[in-house]
Amino acid sequence: MSHRVEVDQQMCEGHGKCQASAPEVFEHRDEDDLSHVILDEVPDTLTAKVDRAIRLCPRQAIRWVS
Amino acid sequence: MSPISPEAAATLPHGINLLEGRLFQANEMHEAFRILRAEAPVHWNPGTDRFNGFWSLVKYEDLLHVSRHPELFISSKGIGGSGLRYPPPGQGEGSSSIITMDPPRHVKMRRLVNKGFTPRAVLQMEPKIRAVTNTILDRVQGRDSCDFVLEVSSQLPLAVICGMMGLEEEHWPAMFDFTNQILGSGDAEYQARVAPDKVGTFEGATLTAADGNRRMNGFFRDILADRRAHPREDDLVSILVESEVDGERLTEGDIVAFCNLLVVAGNETTRNAISGGLIVLCEHPEERARLQAEPSLMPSAVEEILRWTSPLHHMSREATADTEIRGQKIAAGEKVIMWYPSANRDEDIFDDPYRFDITRDPNEHLAFGIGEHFCLGAGFARAEVRIMFEELLRQFPDIQIDGPPERLRSNFINGVKHLPVRLTAAR
Ligand code: HEM
Ligand code: SF4
Repeated sequence: MSHRVEVDQQMCEGHGKCQASAPEVFEHRDEDDLSHVILDEVPDTLTAKVDRAIRLCPRQAIRWVS
Repeated sequence: MSPISPEAAATLPHGINLLEGRLFQANEMHEAFRILRAEAPVHWNPGTDRFNGFWSLVKYEDLLHVSRHPELFISSKGIGGSGLRYPPPGQGEGSSSIITMDPPRHVKMRRLVNKGFTPRAVLQMEPKIRAVTNTILDRVQGRDSCDFVLEVSSQLPLAVICGMMGLEEEHWPAMFDFTNQILGSGDAEYQARVAPDKVGTFEGATLTAADGNRRMNGFFRDILADRRAHPREDDLVSILVESEVDGERLTEGDIVAFCNLLVVAGNETTRNAISGGLIVLCEHPEERARLQAEPSLMPSAVEEILRWTSPLHHMSREATADTEIRGQKIAAGEKVIMWYPSANRDEDIFDDPYRFDITRDPNEHLAFGIGEHFCLGAGFARAEVRIMFEELLRQFPDIQIDGPPERLRSNFINGVKHLPVRLTAAR
């Protein structure tokens, strides 16, 4: 599994489930009211949290990049 | 409605026919879904000459799978309701709204308005939602009883969505009437405009939905003409009038369909979450007492109310290619139906799913769907339900159901038509 993750800004509507699941990886920015990935590489210790964010995102906006 | 054939009926697990509005009206669907989850998680529910047959999906994971593959399971061939046929009564092919639109156009249309529905937008609207709630509750202050649906639960969503669309208050009752006709078409109560001999028949339902759509769309064509002549800044109709997709302005039909969707989707669901929420709180006095003693539990209570009531019974999709769900082959062109109340009581996902627990955690229910078509109004719906119960239980701490709820006959909307309540403590 690759260790980069991205948020599709077309799909994201700022529901914030990702930040709640993995605050180390996702950050909600006020300027565009969307979620941004703040880590270039996701360490193994955080992959479970990111998987959870992917599952919970209501808009299916988050994915691993290979 | 026309019955399914005896041969087809013989194939139904335990004789459960999910086309029957009666099953839902009697609130007996949960037991049916429990049986289906255990014994027939993906089964073919045969149709009739007037209704499509469909694969019935009752497991949480299967709803996730279908919702997350919007190219394989498309919405543009109908999303259910109205007898599960396509095109729905009164709505020709042609103009459609986002709820019956597929990628890639879907998200482009959705993005025209979605900034108005984000958590931040909802937060900004909260004071207004609370003010409207108090106006509604002021009208029943000093009374002993009321019809909670007509006077309270339906009034808040109506005011919020009509306000966002910039519709004057004098038009709101008409919107209420149209949406009842459109989504309540199968219930005799809303068939008042068809000939008496058609009331209660399949034709009566079709005519009622068509009449509701015709009247609502006519209304919005007039509003559109008005907004073009007198542009406004901030309402949803004006935003749509000014919008472009792929360098083209929206057609009149596109805009009217969008407005129709917003009014229907905004009204017919949230009111039932509020009515259903009051019913379930009255049925569970300990949970209610806990909530009234500790109002900070309200957000999580709202999630449990949404899980419990699942105001929308189903959405449907059509498969674009041969595929499989849970090992069952599904052919291209066949319909699948996602049953939300069943997913929201799936034993594999929720501990003790038949327990109403206002502190349930986690509570990742699917009442709003998920993915491409995730409810655009979820933030508003949550805020409306929360603020209504905050104010209602503060101002009417002794409110009680005062007679059986009158439920809607529909396998699409978990509707409550009338709910007699006693507002003050019994003397
Ligand atoms: C408790 C109240 C509500 C419930 C349970 C609910 C439920 C749903 C569900 C399940 C869907 C998904 C449809 C699908 O997957 O095909 C949906 C879509 C939608 N809802 Fe809601 N809804 C509620 C309130 C609202 C409100 C208040 C509004 C508007 C203000 C609204 C507007 C919409 C729209 C526009 C869509 C279509 C989204 C799309 O196709 O992209 N809903 N709703
Ligand atoms: S959970 Fe999904 S929609 Fe919500 S902010 Fe994160 S990426 Fe965006």
